[in-house]
Amino acid sequence: MRSVLPAVAEQLFRDIQKTYQETSQIPNDLLIALRFVFGPCALQALDLVDQHSVTCLSSPSGRKAFQVVGGSGTLYTCFLSCHYCPCPAFAYTVLRRNEGLLCKHILAVYLCQAMAVTQQESVSDQQMSILLSRTSAP
Amino acid sequence: MADILSLVFRTFTSPAGLKKQLPVRPPPPAAGSSLLLGDPDLSRSMLLLAAVTAASELGMRVVFFTQTQIQSLPVSLQRCFSYPRTLEELLLQVASLHESTNTCPTPPSLIIVDRLEGFLCGAGGSNHSGSHPAQLSCAAHLSALLCDTAAFLTQVLGQRGSNSGPCRFIVSFLSEVDTGQGSKDPSGTDPLLDVLDRYFQVRCTLDRDRGYGAAAAGVQEAWHVYLSGRGITEASFTKGCEEKPWFLTFFPPEHKAESTCSLPLDQGCQTHFSSGSTFT
Repeated sequence: MRSVLPAVAEQLFRDIQKTYQETSQIPNDLLIALRFVFGPCALQALDLVDQHSVTCLSSPSGRKAFQVVGGSGTLYTCFLSCHYCPCPAFAYTVLRRNEGLLCKHILAVYLCQAMAVTQQESVSDQQMSILLSRTSAP
Repeated sequence: MADILSLVFRTFTSPAGLKKQLPVRPPPPAAGSSLLLGDPDLSRSMLLLAAVTAASELGMRVVFFTQTQIQSLPVSLQRCFSYPRTLEELLLQVASLHESTNTCPTPPSLIIVDRLEGFLCGAGGSNHSGSHPAQLSCAAHLSALLCDTAAFLTQVLGQRGSNSGPCRFIVSFLSEVDTGQGSKDPSGTDPLLDVLDRYFQVRCTLDRDRGYGAAAAGVQEAWHVYLSGRGITEASFTKGCEEKPWFLTFFPPEHKAESTCSLPLDQGCQTHFSSGSTFT
């Protein structure tokens, strides 16, 4: 994602990327930092990463999007260049109460990108359009 | 997109405006999106001016989404207009713009959405705007989709060496606070506006002048036009005239003075833009 994050979060993802490339692990100090910056959803996001829940969808036009399988099996489509997730937590915590930067699904996308463990999948242009335009998770 | 609005203002500021070479600086990545707030009729006229100016002066391909049929469009402009009836149709049409990049040599570089509030009305099963969580989510979804689509089209335009990139988008919106219906939010702000501000870097606010100055100057209507937001404060925008407030004055139809560069708007009056602190 190319969204603007606070500098501390950007640095944190860079540190995770560097460390994970070298050791295939995220050390405790970075896990604590993740918890400190993103709160309770950090642990839930790491759980989604462990379950390989994040897929990067690509279509022949070159358009890409992320799809995250939620804890209950619901599919959430997230954008490449800005923060939006159709999940209830994003609507309530981020949009309505302005209490968080992002939800666990978007955080899972960032973590998967940093750790290079994002699944890849191809879809048709028409399927991509439908996924991007869906107003609520199926 | 604020650069297109600024071009509109500068083009119609002086009688020689249309003849001038008015280069548009490419906006910084964050300033490609603008939210036009205020009177819906005037907003639509501004959007039409922006669309015509971008297409004719800059050769940009424009896509204009509106629920209301536009009367008397030139044939060359008719294909730019799309009339989705619901938010779902609008979302699908915006989401489908990437499909045309396979077949069309020039992808759109300006996306316009007229009267966002009309599409949001009834979204999430509520006729109220603002505080309904589903409506906030719908507004965020459309805004994020526009951001993502513009980012993708900017990339395509760059790969094809097009001069009309980056892709910009502008959306008009009438807040409940402006309609006088008020807001349930105790702070007096519209929660929908707070959500939209997450995705739009520039606000263009139309504020009607109800003072004596306009009446004394013999104009029918006068509006203050303010550009604000974090996109405006970025370095490349602070050097120009974009940070100044603009005045938009409507002269009665019989008042022909200073109207040589004006275009007739929906109200059947003549427009005149001026930058500065006095009416012209």
